[in-house]
Amino acid sequence: MKHPSPVQLALFAGGDTGRLERWLVSRHLAKCVECQAEVEALGSAGAELHALAAEAPPDLNVNWNRLTEEMTGNIRVGLAAGEAIAAFDPPAARAPRLRWNAAMVLAGATAVFAVAFWVSLPQPQAAHLLQSLNRIRTERIGKLVPGHAAPATDEVMLEASSSAIELKDHDRAMSLTHPASSDAVTISISLQGSAGVRYVDADTGQVTTNKVYYGEP
Amino acid sequence: MASRNLRLLAALFFAGTPVPAGVLTKIDLPKDSPVVVRSAEYGELSETARGGAMLLDLHAALSLQNAGPRRIHGITLLVTAQDVTPGGKGSVTVTSLDVGPDETFPVRIDLRLLRPLQASNNVPVMIALDGILFDDLSFYGPDRLSSRRSLTLAEFEARRDRKYFKSLLAEGGTERLRQQILESMTRQADRPSVDVQVVRGGRATNFEAEKQVQFAFLRLPDAPVDPVGGMARIAGNEARAPRLEVKNRSDRPIRYLEIGWILHDHNGRDFLAGSVPADVSLAPGQKSQMLDNVTLKFPQRDGQPLAIEAMTGFVSSVQFADGSVWIPSRADLAAPELQRVVAPSDEEQRLVQLYRKKGMRALVAELGKF
Repeated sequence: MKHPSPVQLALFAGGDTGRLERWLVSRHLAKCVECQAEVEALGSAGAELHALAAEAPPDLNVNWNRLTEEMTGNIRVGLAAGEAIAAFDPPAARAPRLRWNAAMVLAGATAVFAVAFWVSLPQPQAAHLLQSLNRIRTERIGKLVPGHAAPATDEVMLEASSSAIELKDHDRAMSLTHPASSDAVTISISLQGSAGVRYVDADTGQVTTNKVYYGEP
Repeated sequence: MASRNLRLLAALFFAGTPVPAGVLTKIDLPKDSPVVVRSAEYGELSETARGGAMLLDLHAALSLQNAGPRRIHGITLLVTAQDVTPGGKGSVTVTSLDVGPDETFPVRIDLRLLRPLQASNNVPVMIALDGILFDDLSFYGPDRLSSRRSLTLAEFEARRDRKYFKSLLAEGGTERLRQQILESMTRQADRPSVDVQVVRGGRATNFEAEKQVQFAFLRLPDAPVDPVGGMARIAGNEARAPRLEVKNRSDRPIRYLEIGWILHDHNGRDFLAGSVPADVSLAPGQKSQMLDNVTLKFPQRDGQPLAIEAMTGFVSSVQFADGSVWIPSRADLAAPELQRVVAPSDEEQRLVQLYRKKGMRALVAELGKF
């Protein structure tokens, strides 16, 4: 009987194998006690490692979300750069048209490659990639939806409504609100970069204006 | 050490231990500040997880005391939450005050922060003084938000409106005053209000074709500035990149001006979109251009889509090089186009509220104080 390699067993123990590989290794483990013991040992070592990592000082923590944002940002910059360069490209010579059978072969090969890539990708990475692609798709296509009130999400935005004023910046926001019992709520916008709401306090009769401002450009 | 303790308490909070909102707030007033914090009450901090972020609600009720010899007529506090909006800031301004030495007055701050779970445990909210305007129009404070100008404009409007209401009282008695106050209340109730989103830059989210629309101008007889021409780009419910040309028709140099921007939609509704301000250096007789690369979006409200058809501009305030200001007179504001959309001043709003809550006698007594 041919055993999986130690690397394959280690990846299996950590849940880092693709779907196809996981299925093959599982089939082998069902019949091989020796490899089962090896996977169990690797699993308990992994658990100990996680426990040790949890006790590590916070300064050593890696900000995975920040890394994710940076990676997504890099992809976005790449796409934007591509668009910018495309605008300066000379008009391309007309490409020869593919015959239908050649096009079918090309499409089939692309589909096979995409499926193979997806199947071989470990589950957590696949989920992460899907999430990132979805985020980029939403942000880019969001610009084209007709009548869509929400602005592009990569902008700092000021928003004024009768309930609050808000400064939004990606997944961060600061709002100044006022009591629901306030009277005579009035919205004001200054194009120099501020949004305000004035209200009269029902208890004190005082006139208060809350404002939010952009940061420096 | 204090800062370290605050961080520790904040860390405990984020570990799930409820703490008062005051722990996450720091009030920083200069040592020679003409106001001191008499008391600060904080409501219980509420936290709600929202996806990968945390929503914090902070409520503070400050009691400030006038520690100086002059009467305070307005104050602006600067509110920053650096972890939440790098570079962004907020302010809380109280106008139409008349606080004598040693007297106290309340300032209420209701703040909501949305921040990532991984945000640092620094004290997230700082409250500082931006400026105080006194009854003699003198000013104290760092003025990072141009509070001096906005408080001075509010003070001039307050003086204009008190003088107007006092003249009504003198000429027509309480009945004439009551009639005007009721008209003001009706106008306030009828005044259209829309929600606005402001994005810096010129990106439209609409499919609709963008068109360039010329401004019409409402010329106020005694305004020191004459709008010469202007246009903006309009697409459906978006208006962006206003460009205006103005001429100084006074004999004094001007350093700041604001043009009010009224939008008219396809259903015949008018509303005040905002103001186009500009820091200028405009000698007598000189022309200047005002540009703003900003997009205003007006989301649909009450199921009625808003499609902008036309625009009107008017001069809403001017500051001369010597610091003095010009504001429209009550006669200017009586123009039907303005009366429909321009909100009453802070002082008119306060006086109307006083009448609603305490009646004519209290209003007359209040006008008698000035």
